[in-house]
Amino acid sequence: MVFRVTSAAEALERRIDELRTAVRKAVTAGERERAMALRGALRRAEREWEDALDELADQPAVLVPRQAGPLLPLREQVHQALTLLGSPAAPKLIIAVHEAFHVGEMVPARLTSLRRDEERSFRSSPHSRPYYLCSALTADLLAPARGLLAVSTWPMALRVIGPLSPRVDFLNSAIRLAEHLDRIPEPGPTARRLLWRFAANIPGGAASADAMTPTVVAQAAEAELKIHRDADRSHREAAAKRARQLPDVEQLFGNRLRSISATGT
Amino acid sequence: MDNLQERLRHIRGSAAEKRHNARTVAALTSNPGCARRAVLDAAGVDKDRLARHVGFPAKFGQSQFAITRGNAFEAQVKANGYAELLRLLRETLGLEIREVGSTNLEDVGGNTGQEVRHARSRQKLTSAAADPNAAATFYDHPLLRLDVGGSRVYLEPDLVAFHHDGVFHVVEIKSFAVIDNQADARKVAAAATQSAVYVLALRRLLGDDKVAHEVVLVCPKDFSNQPVATKVDVRKQLIVLNHQLSRLTRIESLVEALPPTLTLDLAPDDDGKFSRPAAEVIAALGEIEARYAPGCLATCEMAFFCRQEASGCTATLGLSVREELGGVETVAEALGLADGILVEGDDQAEVAAMLRTTARIFGSVAA
Repeated sequence: MVFRVTSAAEALERRIDELRTAVRKAVTAGERERAMALRGALRRAEREWEDALDELADQPAVLVPRQAGPLLPLREQVHQALTLLGSPAAPKLIIAVHEAFHVGEMVPARLTSLRRDEERSFRSSPHSRPYYLCSALTADLLAPARGLLAVSTWPMALRVIGPLSPRVDFLNSAIRLAEHLDRIPEPGPTARRLLWRFAANIPGGAASADAMTPTVVAQAAEAELKIHRDADRSHREAAAKRARQLPDVEQLFGNRLRSISATGT
Repeated sequence: MDNLQERLRHIRGSAAEKRHNARTVAALTSNPGCARRAVLDAAGVDKDRLARHVGFPAKFGQSQFAITRGNAFEAQVKANGYAELLRLLRETLGLEIREVGSTNLEDVGGNTGQEVRHARSRQKLTSAAADPNAAATFYDHPLLRLDVGGSRVYLEPDLVAFHHDGVFHVVEIKSFAVIDNQADARKVAAAATQSAVYVLALRRLLGDDKVAHEVVLVCPKDFSNQPVATKVDVRKQLIVLNHQLSRLTRIESLVEALPPTLTLDLAPDDDGKFSRPAAEVIAALGEIEARYAPGCLATCEMAFFCRQEASGCTATLGLSVREELGGVETVAEALGLADGILVEGDDQAEVAAMLRTTARIFGSVAA
């Protein structure tokens, strides 16, 4: 339950603080009469504050729909956004998804160190958490792909990035977002704006932002996805096979030292 | 070559090597006769710092704001699997729907070293040219190399797009706006020349027929962040560049002519302050001949220093004046000839006559 503190009670609290300081100063300065007068004023202010509080207790509690400050820890917010998208994504997109659909604040600056923190946590105590936010690996060198976050519980083939994967994942995410928009009762303008950013860059996605419908966006994305899907899948599965030979920590966070390059590239 | 690299390192001193880029190459080729610029650039000297140390700070260059905005626009255009760029290039270059593959060449498994990156870029681009069916469509930040007057210059275009007909296009993403289908002519020209340097480097690697003479410029449209793509024909710039590059005196002969102990080191102390006296640096600079022209002011950080050094010389009045006054080096000399105070040498007869006539006309008008 959330109480909205009225300005009356707040103002009284400030006054009480001031009076307390004044009383202390008067006492230490030896000004007995002044101290007594101030003490009287202080007691009156405290009584008024109690009355104000009683009034608030009688009012019905008001639920603030969107609260400042996060309700969930950052890693869970990111996990939530990535789960919705269904593919590795960059911090900017994760934040946009979060703002479109979820409650609470997500602080961009903290995202930049998230992957490093997750790796440290994994190294100190492997597999102790139900999931980790990890890297996506480049298919050729199995190095961490720049600027992408993934979820450790996803299959390896989803966590590697082949040459077609950036576009495939974009189309995939468009479908997931469109389906989500259709599911929730009141998507809101932020969510629609997010979907438009996808639709505008998919052939046949939408004629305009106003005319956009999630169903059409999903259909258009699927139409193009069909063209790339098989080739992308075979790249990813070949890379995943090689990646599964790496030690666990490198499967999650990539290998930087050695280069296990695929033959023939 | 090693000896040359040693000499260049010695000239540069203790500072880190300042990298060449397409802008500096373009500027270099617009004033090929300037040995000072050629040596400073080949040695990787930070000309901005040098100019400030000798008391003539440069007044141009991109502001931090412009750089940040440029990076942000580029990131936006490339975000989400190159979503916006793909839409633009499908339209502008006629890419087929299946052409969406991408390769990021900004680093090699985390390694950002120049040689490593260049080797990989070279490998990826040449194999794409050899086997178009197995090629990707976007090559992001490839590292190219060009021989400029005997020194190796690494160049990094924003993106190179490979079309199914087997031709590469250079794509440059710039943050100056195209408003009502028009952009700042100077900026477009600079972008065109810069892109031409990349085209040249790519052609040297892959062959002329594999690289288009049209580059794609991606800029924000009107006052928004919406990108718009335009094809720019850079054949003229390519001709000029090729011509100028071949005229650049080999850097070896320039360096050989210099005293072996010459160095432009600024001798930074522990606090990073430069302890070498400016007068010493100026003396060292004086050993390397410059060729100042007013055009330098827009392209070289040393321009103000060289201009002051050249004051009183006819060269500072511009190329056309200099050509007309061929053989007359200083303004004082020209005036003297015009007034008939100085007697001309044999090779100055024509010029002197022209000057005297001009003085007479001006004198009669003024009188």
